[in-house]
Amino acid sequence: MTELQAAPRGKPLNLPRLETRARYRDALTAIVAFVVLASLPLFFDSKALLDFVIRCSAFGLFATSLNLLVGYTGMISFGHGMFFGLGAYSFGLIMQKTGVPIPVAFIATLVLSAVAAAVIGAICVRLKEIYFAFVTLAFQMLIHSTILSWVSLTGGDQGLRGGIPRPVFLGIDLGNQVHLYVASCALLVIGLLLMRQIAQSPFGYTLRMIRDNAARASFVGIDVWRAKLTIFVLAALFASTGGVIMSLFVSGAYPEFAYWTISGEGIFINMLGGVTTFLGPMLGTVLFLILNDTVTRFTEYHGIVLGIVILFFAIGLRKGLMDFAIEWYAARRGRGEQA
Amino acid sequence: MTRTRKPGISRRSSLALMGAGLATLAAPWAARAQAKAIKVGMPTILSGRVAQLGTSSRNAVLLEVERVNATGGLAGRPIEMVIRDSKGQPQEAARVARELVNTDGCELLIDAEASSGAFAVHEVARDLGVLCIHTNSETSSLTADPKQRIPNAFRTARQGVHDSIVGGSYAASIAKAKGLKKWATCSPDYAYGRDTTGEFVLYLKRFAPDVEIISESWPKLFQPDYTEVVTKVLQARPQALYTCLWGGDLTSYIDQANIYALFGQMEVFAVNMADYTALTVVKNLPKGIHSGNRYIKTYPSTPENAAWGDAYKAKYGEYPTNWSWENATAIMLLAEASKKANSADGKKIAEAMRGLTIKSPFGTDGTVTMRADDQTLVGYAIGWGTTIPQEPYVPEVKPGDWKTIFELEAEWKKSNGYS
Amino acid sequence: MDLNALIACLASSACLVTQTTSGLIIGMLLFLVAVGLTLIFGVLKVVNFSHGAFYMFGAYFAMTTYQITGSFAAAMLCGAAGTAILGLIFERVFMSRVYGADVLMQLLVCYAFVLIFDDVVRMVWGPEFKSMGMPTAFQVMPLFIAGGVVPPYYLLLIGVALVAAIVLGAGLSRTRIGKVVRAAAHNPSMTSALGINTGLIYGGVFALGGMLAGLAGALAAPVRSLTPGMGFSVLIESFIVTVIGGMGSILGALIGALLIGLIRSFGSLGFPLFTEGLMYLFMVIVLVSRPTGLFGKEVA
Repeated sequence: MTELQAAPRGKPLNLPRLETRARYRDALTAIVAFVVLASLPLFFDSKALLDFVIRCSAFGLFATSLNLLVGYTGMISFGHGMFFGLGAYSFGLIMQKTGVPIPVAFIATLVLSAVAAAVIGAICVRLKEIYFAFVTLAFQMLIHSTILSWVSLTGGDQGLRGGIPRPVFLGIDLGNQVHLYVASCALLVIGLLLMRQIAQSPFGYTLRMIRDNAARASFVGIDVWRAKLTIFVLAALFASTGGVIMSLFVSGAYPEFAYWTISGEGIFINMLGGVTTFLGPMLGTVLFLILNDTVTRFTEYHGIVLGIVILFFAIGLRKGLMDFAIEWYAARRGRGEQA
Repeated sequence: MTRTRKPGISRRSSLALMGAGLATLAAPWAARAQAKAIKVGMPTILSGRVAQLGTSSRNAVLLEVERVNATGGLAGRPIEMVIRDSKGQPQEAARVARELVNTDGCELLIDAEASSGAFAVHEVARDLGVLCIHTNSETSSLTADPKQRIPNAFRTARQGVHDSIVGGSYAASIAKAKGLKKWATCSPDYAYGRDTTGEFVLYLKRFAPDVEIISESWPKLFQPDYTEVVTKVLQARPQALYTCLWGGDLTSYIDQANIYALFGQMEVFAVNMADYTALTVVKNLPKGIHSGNRYIKTYPSTPENAAWGDAYKAKYGEYPTNWSWENATAIMLLAEASKKANSADGKKIAEAMRGLTIKSPFGTDGTVTMRADDQTLVGYAIGWGTTIPQEPYVPEVKPGDWKTIFELEAEWKKSNGYS
Repeated sequence: MDLNALIACLASSACLVTQTTSGLIIGMLLFLVAVGLTLIFGVLKVVNFSHGAFYMFGAYFAMTTYQITGSFAAAMLCGAAGTAILGLIFERVFMSRVYGADVLMQLLVCYAFVLIFDDVVRMVWGPEFKSMGMPTAFQVMPLFIAGGVVPPYYLLLIGVALVAAIVLGAGLSRTRIGKVVRAAAHNPSMTSALGINTGLIYGGVFALGGMLAGLAGALAAPVRSLTPGMGFSVLIESFIVTVIGGMGSILGALIGALLIGLIRSFGSLGFPLFTEGLMYLFMVIVLVSRPTGLFGKEVA
């Protein structure tokens, strides 16, 4: 883990002025990104493009939030998908059963996810390394089994059926694809911006310190357990937001959303894009979805193709694409300066 | 794919536009030679444990499409199938279905998804308004529940409740004749397993009121080992056992129950036994298992059905499955409805399809009907018989009576608040 | 929930014997898969996520051999030997390249092979499920022991698994090779400095683990249907077993496997709809109270 993440450690730790400037820069980037994304439908009349970006938002939030755990804190969670599923199910159920406005349901979903994450996290974050991975996986499977068994509430293996009602609020109609698209982009950009703030805050550097040397962190007076629990809950919130977007996209929620494969895909996305940069997982998401969509289009033996691509990354590059690109760029610039 | 993904590649899309413009110019000549193909999208499961569902559905569809195209296609337009794997994941099924319509330009959808995938595609059909025929989901509520219903979605698969009514009345007659009072059930723990078993028991008790269920087991879907549920049934010592396990799960169960000599100790009713997928695979098939017909070429015992089964086998080297006939029926119905409407337009085909009766090798009386009020298939061959270990596997099938099915189905709908 | 059925069963010796043996059967097959996992983890520190594929290949190899030769013994032999060779190749060509790397990289390589192996099986043997069929020698009436039912084939199965457990346990603790393997697990660089070829040991351990999983697959082939992806559910259960027993502990794998088997067989009586959930619950409880598992040591 550590050797892969050498890069962010080199950043300045306590330069408040620089940090404020960086924050403005991040916010500005976010606004520009949102404007660009939101104006896409004006130029491209492609529903498939919108669908693609909506799915990118769902998986992007999920994968980036997983990176807060894996890349920044060194907590390899195999069960992050449970919050994706939890978000989708809570949101879908609240909308189907109560008929409250969408923002209320969304906030209620976040509250529910936070409570669940706090309880599960309190049990899990004590464990280290592979044992943390396994216990999160076990919790994920427990939640998946519960969804399957609790048929009267969740619809069991058939998922939430009959569509999720999407009443208009503030003039926004999420039943309309363009509206849903803009809303997803907004959630994505806001989510990324917030996560970036977390990552660059003093708390974010505390997390890196825990990752690199938990013992040292606790010597300097950091409550490691509390910091880990906090980031576990925060990451769960963003994952659950991803689940909400996905449930709106498919107009339902399915047990597969809480299955371990979603967590596996999250890890894969992170490795594809790279875990040392903030935007690595986002790039990984785009790559993963393009890969998934094109390969399943041309062959039903997509397992072999995907497997070979993974091998290329794992054995060939030995790092994510973003990391590879940055190192390559740095190396080139270094050579340029020498010359 | 990438064509529309990123703004940076817009140059290619303008090239494509130019290409399309040229094609339009060339169109008058092309049209005379051959009308534009109509694309039919088909999301299904082609990988993983139930890949056979997808491959045998695809085989049947392609077999029928060949025939339809040979006689002029849909209103003169040849059918072009676009078949894609959803890996059995509902979100992928929804994504693939949307992409088929939005990107690939499919005008019709054949939804060959199982279980939850079918509900996911159903939502896409609701959203996009495209004509969609469900071919593999037998879950009753998909068409029976008015909340699910949309005018553009049909089903050409069996419906769970039909099977249960016929199975229940058949089992009750055996139960009365042989005095089978103590029953056990063992079915996979998912919606299809639970619903079908519940309905079977309901009708069994209705026709044979003194039947009692003394043991229930609910193994997981795709569970590799059934030893614990086999022994559980043995402990309960029932006189008869009902199971709606299917495919590989059923064959595992039979192999494992066989070495406990379970089949000598009770009558077994396995609704999904009489399908070639299970019949040809099980090496030591016990004699005398009661089963519903899934697909066998000897029932209905008509030359048309036998010819269809043989044609399929000649082309693909194996017998068709239950999924095969359900998917073949979708294409047959599309072709007939399009002929009736004299159009390849989804809305007009849907209009023509409601209440349409067509000739079919799979019908009880040589025809099947797309019932107008809930847009699901009726009149298909449905019956029960007992197995023997070699061809024809189920020598005698006792046909179900559609009149009784309709009566009881209407009652069932009422009790579920569906009508 | 159906607690009455569970209590009634515990009170009857016939039920107790039958359900206990059924738990043993499930447990012993699981043990064969899990012990390979735990061995590979103990020596190589690799979580072999593709272990289920070896179980699958074992079953397919056995089926094909049985179809060609008609000999059950040959089928078992080919199932085990074939996967041993496969394990050796897999370790030497691919896994050995990522030992120094992140644990996630190792997982990715395994994940890639889970995908590839499933597709390979689908290409070679087809997507439909298959059945090997019970050899005629075992198509006999089950035995009755204290009122409980026990099929002879399952006695063989339990016997083979027990022998494997004893041979492994004794081999590791008593023989020279066992000592070398334990040394390599404990301190690889020191072992290699002493002139021992650790690469050979790693490959051998992987082959051994693969062979045990393949043997489990071959033994299961007569009673379980064969499909691409069949290794997966077995893999998840054997993970639970190794985690409960303690990663790297052979005794732990044995006890864990038996516990899971018994949870399944008695759980299906008392909680027919939540048997699976019961296993995960048990795993969570063990991990929380003893993070290293029942028999795991902190060093692992």
